[in-house]
Amino acid sequence: MTAAAQPVVPQFLDPTVLAKIGNLELIARVVVEGFLNGLHRSPHLGMSMDFAEHRAYMPGDDIRRIDWKLFGRTDRHYLKEFEADTNANFSVLLDISRSMGYGSRGLTKLDYARYLAACLLYFSHKQRDRIGFATFDDDIVDFVPPSAKHLPVALHTIERLGTRHSALGAAGESGAATRSAARQPSAESPVPSPDGAKPRVFERALAKFADSVRRRSILVLISDLYDEPRSILDAISHLRGKGNDIIVMHLLDPAELDFPFDEAASFEDLESAERLSVIPEYLRDEYRAMVAEHVATLGKLLGENRIDYTLFNTSEPLDRALFSYLSNRQRLSRVR
Amino acid sequence: MGFLTPAFLIGLAALAVPVLIHLIHRERREVVAFPSLMFLRRIPYKSVRRQKLRNLLLFLLRCAALILLVAAFARPLFERGGARAAGAGARGREVVILVDRSYSMGYGTRWQRALDAARRAVDNVLPDDRATVVFFADAASAANRATADRAALRATVDAGTVGSGVTRYAPALKLASGILDASELPRREVVLITDFQRVGWDGHDAVRLPRGTTVTPVSVGEEGATSNISATSMDLHRDYPAGREHVTATVRLTNKGAAPVSGLPVAIEVNGRTLQTKPVTLAANSSATVAFAPFPLGDGLSRGTVHAGQDVLPHDNLFHFTLTRGQALAVLIVEPADAAATRSLYLTRALALGDRPPMRAQVKKAGQLRAADLAGQALVILNDAGLPGGDTGERLAAFVRGGGGLLVALGDRSSAASWESGRAALLPGPVGSPVDRSANWGGTLGLIDRSHPVFELFRAPRSGDFSAARFFRYRPVTLGPGDAVLARYDDGGPALIERRVGAGKVLIWTSTLDAFWNDLALQPVFLPFVHQLAKYTAGYAEDAPWFTVGQAVDVSGTMATTATASAPDSSAVGARAAPPAAAPGAPGAAPAARAPSSEEWNAVAPSGERTRLGGRSAARTLVLAEQGFYELRRSDEDGHPSRVVAVNLDLAESDLSTMDPQELIGAVTARADSATAAGPDAELTVEERERRQAIWWYLLAAALLLLAAETAFSNRLSGVRRA
Repeated sequence: MTAAAQPVVPQFLDPTVLAKIGNLELIARVVVEGFLNGLHRSPHLGMSMDFAEHRAYMPGDDIRRIDWKLFGRTDRHYLKEFEADTNANFSVLLDISRSMGYGSRGLTKLDYARYLAACLLYFSHKQRDRIGFATFDDDIVDFVPPSAKHLPVALHTIERLGTRHSALGAAGESGAATRSAARQPSAESPVPSPDGAKPRVFERALAKFADSVRRRSILVLISDLYDEPRSILDAISHLRGKGNDIIVMHLLDPAELDFPFDEAASFEDLESAERLSVIPEYLRDEYRAMVAEHVATLGKLLGENRIDYTLFNTSEPLDRALFSYLSNRQRLSRVR
Repeated sequence: MGFLTPAFLIGLAALAVPVLIHLIHRERREVVAFPSLMFLRRIPYKSVRRQKLRNLLLFLLRCAALILLVAAFARPLFERGGARAAGAGARGREVVILVDRSYSMGYGTRWQRALDAARRAVDNVLPDDRATVVFFADAASAANRATADRAALRATVDAGTVGSGVTRYAPALKLASGILDASELPRREVVLITDFQRVGWDGHDAVRLPRGTTVTPVSVGEEGATSNISATSMDLHRDYPAGREHVTATVRLTNKGAAPVSGLPVAIEVNGRTLQTKPVTLAANSSATVAFAPFPLGDGLSRGTVHAGQDVLPHDNLFHFTLTRGQALAVLIVEPADAAATRSLYLTRALALGDRPPMRAQVKKAGQLRAADLAGQALVILNDAGLPGGDTGERLAAFVRGGGGLLVALGDRSSAASWESGRAALLPGPVGSPVDRSANWGGTLGLIDRSHPVFELFRAPRSGDFSAARFFRYRPVTLGPGDAVLARYDDGGPALIERRVGAGKVLIWTSTLDAFWNDLALQPVFLPFVHQLAKYTAGYAEDAPWFTVGQAVDVSGTMATTATASAPDSSAVGARAAPPAAAPGAPGAAPAARAPSSEEWNAVAPSGERTRLGGRSAARTLVLAEQGFYELRRSDEDGHPSRVVAVNLDLAESDLSTMDPQELIGAVTARADSATAAGPDAELTVEERERRQAIWWYLLAAALLLLAAETAFSNRLSGVRRA
């Protein structure tokens, strides 16, 4: 499909508009191709090239990778290395715990995460990567192993998430009335911690996932990260230790960031069903500060461990988020 | 500090509203699903404390505004007259409940409604109040001492009954004014429960209730037209056919209703036996006279009643009367010994024509007069005869002193010498020689005391012309101390002189009672003049067949006569001459100088109530307060009463026309002395003081200011929160 044949697509796609499109592949295509078209017009020309650097030829290297043009100019053998390995594994790890079913503006975090995952998979598939997909809450739920042919399977799995969690998405808006439709925790679900954080679910699920990763992969973790930053880092360390390139996408609803509630109410934890009487106007400032601190701590800890961390506000357009992420990724790659 | 409408203070309970709002606001149980309470749990509850501190000012503003609003509606005032109110509570009332018990209240269900209204007024009496129940008709009396005891007040009201008196508002209002004036309570109220008959208020009664008194009228009169039939008056005419006394009764009936009445049965009952019944037809607002056939009068006292049917006001359909067979007035005429046979012709003929009472005249020559001739006589006329001497003269003087009457007519034989013996005792002064006025065609009577009972009959115009009589001669008499001249000739000489001697009277007519010295005997006035002269001198007073409620009857005559009659040696003197009783001011009222008995008497009212008279009690007057028959008897007598008095209603009360209650209230509460209207607060009513102080206005303004401040403050808070 050429750029001229593309329909007119807004540069920044509203996730709520995308949500009205039923076909997830179409969504991913619209987003990614619109994003790619936008890149051609962007000032960051050359970002789509695979070339990364030259290095001196070492005995044993494949002579097909010698840059002969450079040899003609310098009379030395240099190998041409590319940033992306077109044969790399690209897997998306998606948190489908009940807290992800929350959405204050009609679009839940899970929906946003689904679109985001679909776009990333589609994007990687376009780069001929092997794509894999996994979902987890307190354990691995779905697992699509990496393969160049697994895009339809992965997209289908993501599609089913929407059906499975549609009730959960409604529960996120209207309270506990529809919570029974949500996926119940398994019998072996760990007891919630007293402070309301997820009880080290990441560590268990990610450790299990790490066992299934046999090649170095690019792993994208999409979650709302309701756990202690140190616990999250520990969980991710399992993946990081095998040389995987970890990208953490932190999704938060605007209501989670701003806490815009006015009326005093009983707030119910979607994870544990616990309730807490809250007068929002007197908690808001402290809440915001704590969330900001949580985000900052995550960014700092993960950054120190060479893990990409990006906060996504679900009210932001999907391609802008994507663009923002890839720009950062590109910048980090150069540094690397 | 007090409140005009303290009931509004209940509104302070609304203070709970902002408190509840704050509590509900805090405890609302709306459930909001949220991804994780991880951060919320970490925030300590110190935020609650902050909330209290931050909203305290707003809460206080709301509460203060509410308190001020409630206080404004409760109408506060400062009690400057604290000393007045300190005695029995600043909020107490002095309540006087005036209940009309005149007999018009017996109309239909008026009395029951009046009692109900009185009970309601009693129920409104609070512990700080004091109330007095006053029943009134033509007089008013407090039925209880002022109290706040509702049970006692209710018992007092329940004991009230309809009376026989007429409505008079002035005495009741004066009594109420006295009670209120003596009260130290700050609020005064009069509850006037009546049918508001117009006859009860003539507009000239100077009654003023204390300033600030609240008058609550309760009208129990019926709306629309009323109907009432009443027996208004009665005439009893005596005849003596065949020597037997017969009475012809004529009763006058009035229909004061808008509807005619036909076939009204009117019956006369005497001594418990219905003698006759006549159907009567009465047109609307008209009157009619019913004459019954004559009936013979029995011995002794007869009680009679006329029944004029039945209507919604039955009290005035009755008319009571008493009758006693008439007794002849015994008159002894004494002539000179040598008098001609016709000397007393005019006099005897005139006395013989009398029927009320019949007079029995006996003529005696002066020389034939004996002491025994005086027995049984009520009047002795010395017709130109000298005063008898000796024992007869003494007995005559004693007769007069004992209450007998002596009429002296002077003439040719009445020289000064003929009076010398007993003049000092019975005559005022020396009798002079005759004054001859024949030269000028005689003189006339120039001055007549028409207020005197002798001439009162001729008081009305064209009721007797004495000026036509010509007097040619008379004997001048020198007046003594205490003598009264009842008539004078046109030359100033006394014509009729009255002298009191003991209990009796001596009247001296200075001319003759025939046609010799004057032509009075030829004038029409001669006959009634002689009758009046004889009745008055003899001390005759006709028994009134009935009295009216409210009159006072002097019963000393009855008590004295009965006592005297019971004495064995006094039966010969004036047994009939002493009248039993008479209403004060009535013609021929008996003098109260007769020796009263020291025995105790009882007057029994129609209701059975006994009134003690005589004896140690100085009371000799019986006030008639009930319709019916009063009986007067000695305490130790159980038989027939000595006297029976028939009492009828005052028919002014039968006029059921009503007045506007506001007219009466305006008359008794209006203040002509407007100069004192600006007096100190202590003299003002609570309402006036509150109106002058108008504190509520300031409270309301302050409350509005606070509400405005609250609005601004809360808006600012909301803005801050939204930001």
